Amino acid sequence: MRIAVLVPGLAPHDAVSNDTLGMTAALRRLGHEVALFAPHARGVDEPVRAPDTVEAWLRSPDDVVLYHYCVGWDFPLALFRRTRARRILRYHNITPPEFFEGWSAGYVASCAEGRGQLDAYAALDCELYLGCSPYNLEDFTTRGVAPERCALLPPFHEVEQLHSLEPDPRRLPHGSPLLLMVGRLAPNKAHADLIDTLAALRADGADAHLLSLGKLDPNLAPYGAALAARIAARGVGDAVTLMQDANGAELRAAFARADALVMLSRHEGFCVPLIEAMALGTPVVARASSALPWTLGDAGLLWDEDADAHLIAASLRRLAHDAELRETLRARGRARYDAVFAPAVLERDLAAALARVARR
Amino acid sequence: MHRATLDQIRILVSSNPNDDYLARIKAEIRAEADAARERAPLPRLDPPPRAAVTVDDGIDRERLDYSLGELCGHDYIAFIDHAFRALLKRAPDDTGSALQIRLLAAGAPKAEVLGNLRWSPEGRRVGARVRGLLPRYALAKLARVPVAGYLLQWGLALAGLPLLLRHQRASDTLHAARFNAVADERREHARRLDELQARQDAFNAVHGEMRNELTRLAQRLDTLEQRAKALEHHAGALQQRSDATTHELADLRHYVHTANHWVASLQRSLDELETAEAAESARADELLAALAEPDTDARAARHAAWSAALAAALPPAARVLDLGSGDGRWLAALRAHGLDAHGVEVNRVLVERARAQARPVALGEPLAALERCAEASLDALTLAATLADDALGTANLLHAARRALKPDGVLLLRAEATPCAAAGTEPPHWRALLAAAGFAAPSETAAPHAGAVLARRGAD
Repeated sequence: MRIAVLVPGLAPHDAVSNDTLGMTAALRRLGHEVALFAPHARGVDEPVRAPDTVEAWLRSPDDVVLYHYCVGWDFPLALFRRTRARRILRYHNITPPEFFEGWSAGYVASCAEGRGQLDAYAALDCELYLGCSPYNLEDFTTRGVAPERCALLPPFHEVEQLHSLEPDPRRLPHGSPLLLMVGRLAPNKAHADLIDTLAALRADGADAHLLSLGKLDPNLAPYGAALAARIAARGVGDAVTLMQDANGAELRAAFARADALVMLSRHEGFCVPLIEAMALGTPVVARASSALPWTLGDAGLLWDEDADAHLIAASLRRLAHDAELRETLRARGRARYDAVFAPAVLERDLAAALARVARR
Repeated sequence: MHRATLDQIRILVSSNPNDDYLARIKAEIRAEADAARERAPLPRLDPPPRAAVTVDDGIDRERLDYSLGELCGHDYIAFIDHAFRALLKRAPDDTGSALQIRLLAAGAPKAEVLGNLRWSPEGRRVGARVRGLLPRYALAKLARVPVAGYLLQWGLALAGLPLLLRHQRASDTLHAARFNAVADERREHARRLDELQARQDAFNAVHGEMRNELTRLAQRLDTLEQRAKALEHHAGALQQRSDATTHELADLRHYVHTANHWVASLQRSLDELETAEAAESARADELLAALAEPDTDARAARHAAWSAALAAALPPAARVLDLGSGDGRWLAALRAHGLDAHGVEVNRVLVERARAQARPVALGEPLAALERCAEASLDALTLAATLADDALGTANLLHAARRALKPDGVLLLRAEATPCAAAGTEPPHWRALLAAAGFAAPSETAAPHAGAVLARRGAD
């Protein structure tokens, strides 16, 4: 079977790109002929074809077009409407535009356009809607897509490669506790709550430090300025390290040194850093928003969406002093990773999902 | 995935009601957080100020004092915009702006528009002060009272007639000046239009060149696409050859494995043959040892006679090698004469029997043992007749003996009793072979038992 994998773009260290490339390799191991189609790609060791050649490459109605849906893009929608091949919509979720209102008109328009296509894709009755999490699949089941057309497949990732890297802690700060956040600087990630948590810890006498690994898009410069103002207002300027250029070895070292990954994001379609923490043995404190409860499972301290800085800070203090809790969370994280997110499990689930498409 | 399954997953991971351990921990953390809120409260901060970061609307929110003249100095939309920004501290919304413009178009004075905004609920909250606005706004409102308002307007118009005439004349001058300014602007615009037209012509020329270049690029792209297709074709051919080579390698790997199997099987067969041969050889040794001549007086007498004759022909303690020593009895006879005698026997059973009697007999092939001796290193060599039962073998043996013996060394051939022949039976070709091999004066010993031939190595 020929499978055309269509994606808006490919780049190194990008969650959607990692999922695309990992899934492509897995499909090939399953014996399928797979080709990648994207309008642009960089730093990817894989031949990538122009999207408008997808239909010429497909040979039979039994072939498959697999689209990684993560932005608004008219081309795949038109392609899905006219192609006779079987269609798989791989849905990574799109941040609701209201998170960006007041920060970037461009992001608001882009996210609104992306989410605006949900109805159209739901109406297409694709052969398979492949969600990274149950939360993602709800975007389609609430729009009338039959549950039997939906399948759950967590994203392919590079956690094993990360695990094999030699840690490089030279540029990393120290702190007791050291709070780690991994993710781009964006309004939905709730960095202000992290700063408040840090302030609560320091107000209570702890020598805490916040290490945030992730880039700030220049189009979100006002949000970056607001975070800087928040840091100054809380008086924690010397206890915050924002690294926008961390490499894999430094990320590996950050997970090893941190006392906890603190993920207070208010919207995530899956959240790969959580499984990185689970695989690398870093305890997790998180907010129970969007897909985070499912991804984390029982392997971390999960709080309601209205949890305040004092509650998160108290969780970190408890983790620092309770060795049994730390070991319990580490063991649960590793077990959940092995059971649900290990590459062999993902490949097995992918094969099962494809078998369902083949039967249709 | 069915909805039921989705729901089950959600329940399993989000609530996990059986997780008493985490529930207890979280309850304790909540209590600790409550204590921390009392112990070290955080000062309240507003959410990140989005508008303050992103919006610069040009409104001076600190200023609340204006003169009537500066607000009335604009006309139409600009007047409305300034009025909203000054009195309500915000840009005009579409509905409000349209309402005030309709008032102006209906002939309402600007003071009425300003007054409407200033004393609206929103304007009262802002509380801006406009000097001189209140009486004019009051007059404008009084003018809207039926009859009385109309009369009031008449009175005000008559009273202000000279002022209106002066204002009219000033307006004429103002409009003439504006007309001239507009005419100047029109000329400037025309000049700029000409410049733009010239730029557009230049741009069109460049555009034409770019289109030509684009056409050339498209042609090159076509060429490149054709080459890419050709390369793809070659790549396909290479792939086919690679596949064929892969198949051949698989076949070759199969053949190698098969050959390995055959070789292993052959090795096993050889091992079995060697094992069988060794067993057979052991049985033969046992049989031949059983048939060996018993230790009798006749044998002892024969050996005594032969050894005496040999010792007489040799210097004291001469070095003697015996081939085919059997159980070593003959060696014992030699060593009784003080000779330094050692023997070699191929039958393992007989060798063990000799060693049990402390007789120096080594296990080995007689000819091989002789060939290992240094040249001219032996004073004497004695051979059992059974070693010389064929002419060619005896010739080789004598040749090797000649090499190993000293120039005046002695060779003794002895015919012991065998299963096939009695002792003393001398092979008929012995003497001829000894002479042919260069051994001088072969003569039978003078012992009472015949069957031994004593010869001395001749000169080279």
